[in-house]
Amino acid sequence: MSATRGGLVSLAAATLVAVGACGRESVPPPPPATSASPATAPPTERVVGPLSPEDARALATMNDRLKQYVDLHVKLEQSLPKLPKDATPQQIDKNQRTLERLVREARATAKPGDIFTPEAQPVIKRLLAAVFGGPDGKQLKSSIMDENTVDPATIKLTVNARYPDVVPLTSVPPQVLQTLPKLTEDLEYRFVGDWLILLDTHAHVVADYIDDALPK
Amino acid sequence: MRTRHSFSIPLLLLLSVAGVGCRDGAIAAGATAVEAQQPAAEAQVALPNKDGSFKFAVLGDFGTGDRTQYELAEQMAKFRQRFKYEIVVLVGDNLYGSERPQDFQNKFEIPYKPLIDAGVKFYASLGNHDAREQRYYKLFNMDGKLYYTFSPKSDIRFFVLESTYPVPEQIEWVEKELKASGSNWKIVYFHHPLYSSGERHGSDLRLREVLEPLFLKYNVSVVLTGHDHFYERLKPQKEITHFVVGSGGQLRKGNIDRGTGLTARGFDTDLVFMAAEITGDEMYFNAISRTGQTVDSGVLTRRKAAP
Repeated sequence: MSATRGGLVSLAAATLVAVGACGRESVPPPPPATSASPATAPPTERVVGPLSPEDARALATMNDRLKQYVDLHVKLEQSLPKLPKDATPQQIDKNQRTLERLVREARATAKPGDIFTPEAQPVIKRLLAAVFGGPDGKQLKSSIMDENTVDPATIKLTVNARYPDVVPLTSVPPQVLQTLPKLTEDLEYRFVGDWLILLDTHAHVVADYIDDALPK
Repeated sequence: MRTRHSFSIPLLLLLSVAGVGCRDGAIAAGATAVEAQQPAAEAQVALPNKDGSFKFAVLGDFGTGDRTQYELAEQMAKFRQRFKYEIVVLVGDNLYGSERPQDFQNKFEIPYKPLIDAGVKFYASLGNHDAREQRYYKLFNMDGKLYYTFSPKSDIRFFVLESTYPVPEQIEWVEKELKASGSNWKIVYFHHPLYSSGERHGSDLRLREVLEPLFLKYNVSVVLTGHDHFYERLKPQKEITHFVVGSGGQLRKGNIDRGTGLTARGFDTDLVFMAAEITGDEMYFNAISRTGQTVDSGVLTRRKAAP
């Protein structure tokens, strides 16, 4: 996975060019090649069209921060003993909490918007609005709200803190994953209520979030 | 591939009418549950329970820690007293909510303790509610991998995928593995169904676009999935039989959309696991409810490469 990590991050901006655009009147140019998908893979239907150059630039600021975060994560994780392939739950928990502590210490001054940059946030909200405003939007939202019963206002959801143990990990439909900037295996998007969370999956830490990201 | 589930003449000797039992050695069927689009009086196909056959169970969407999960787990243990399945394949959503050490205990190790103690091995795939660290958990036998393959018996190979983030590397990997495999039985399992009549989730069309051509090309016979919280056997799709077994702990009552035309048999009123037996070119299956009823049964024949 590490071999692909850098490549995936660097491909993210280019991938985004093929993803977005909502409601522009002129016919957009065909998107450039986006990733190294297998030649045999059939084309997939894009939920939203290509991004405008302005939106692509805005999301590129987030991709830079993502790369910085992943570099830090990898460095910290490499300082820990590798988890055995036949680990006990206690070993998994210990490893996760140790990495959590290292990440939290290394990002002691982290705050909302460090990764979901102020430039990227409105674009992400618009992209999500386009996805959920589409013909499948109602069903997509239903699938996200499945197991998503927590009101983020009632829990202490903090950037650079542990993802609350009591909050289930929610579904993120492929249409959403296809629309948002691509992540490496170290990070995942999740929803808590209508907040979009960037979750460090190995450290179980909330790397960043956008509140009010899911359209009403 | 053909799928039989009632009154096939070659199978008559194996059939057991609901509540009557079956031939020597075979597993007796319980009362027939009537659901979906099956006639009430349909006969059941018994598991042959042959020496030397390969026997396994399928479980999905189970790790709630609720009483009903435990009750289905008891049923699985009880069933195994008569039908010694060797492994359980897990089609994802293995732990709901928190994943602390005590959750691994309460949502997995305690309910399935009789099976674990009996040496039954569980082979997990990850669902959308599962943390990726589960791949390191010894009792899930994932060997630290998000996607992997294993062969529990000569001529039978399982391919286990991670369908929440089906990255291109994984698609390339599964094509390579399917192509390289000389096993007669190729069974693939993962969380998100390519075909499902679930009103909540339904068929994952994007995943289908990518995976189905590979499954067709490389002779996959059976696809096992979960995600929708019920049991459904789909009508064979392009000769492949798909099962949704997302009812191991979670249940979404009445969620099967009867109007899709996809359902061969569905059950959405109680928790269910599936037991299966491969002997030669045939795979027998029974779907067993929390109360011990056999709610579906049948036999299918593996796909064969064109000469």
